[in-house]
Amino acid sequence: MSLDHLMQVPGALAAFQYSDKGDLVQHVIKEGTALTAQALDLLAHTCVANSAIATMEARGWEALTGQQGFEPLQGFSLIGMDWSAVFGSNCGVVLRNQDVNYEAAFSALTQCKL
Amino acid sequence: MRIISQLMAVPGVIAAGEYSFRGDRYTYEGHLTPETARMASILCRANTLSVNMQVDMFDSLVPQNGLMPAQGWIVRGRAISVCVTGNIFCFIQNKQGLLNNVMALLRANLGDTEGDVMKYMYSKIGGDVEEKLY
Repeated sequence: MSLDHLMQVPGALAAFQYSDKGDLVQHVIKEGTALTAQALDLLAHTCVANSAIATMEARGWEALTGQQGFEPLQGFSLIGMDWSAVFGSNCGVVLRNQDVNYEAAFSALTQCKL
Repeated sequence: MRIISQLMAVPGVIAAGEYSFRGDRYTYEGHLTPETARMASILCRANTLSVNMQVDMFDSLVPQNGLMPAQGWIVRGRAISVCVTGNIFCFIQNKQGLLNNVMALLRANLGDTEGDVMKYMYSKIGGDVEEKLY
């Protein structure tokens, strides 16, 4: 799936791919939005950081409580006032909340094999 | 709190709760023990503060962006997801349609978190929270 396909997720403002270290590899930004490559690079680093923290928490939670179902993690979403950033599988997408469909976004990201 | 009972009435919701400024003060309903609810509350508080810090930094690069101020976060696991809006957390099964419904319910009932999340989280102290914090 290409970034152009991720841009088909309802409300998509930008789609991006990042390395395991969080560096921005490629991106697409919808015309007219205030997002920049530098901003997406910072967002990509938060994606890696949050994925690592969430994986640690999921692993610890499963070990401590015996409750299974978290690992492997599919993704993480950061929800803002008007936008949400949804990411997983080294790809991310920024969405307008008024059109947001979190399940469609997570589903699209699981197919993100660039 | 009414929103917690509303969430628990939705099929597929495992547990829901409210955490406060210390993280280890909470109320909850559902399939958690008091100890795991305490752990969940501390975990949610830590992640909420982290996400707010991240959005603050993002705001310095993209002023007046749509992520600011942060409203919450979602962890999507293999079969279970954790949704947090404001200081409400919810554990749900990954059933089709449930995540979108729960997020819509949370945003509609809790409204927008305006401004400083610390003040919001500490509001249960009562009185002039800003004076006590700063």
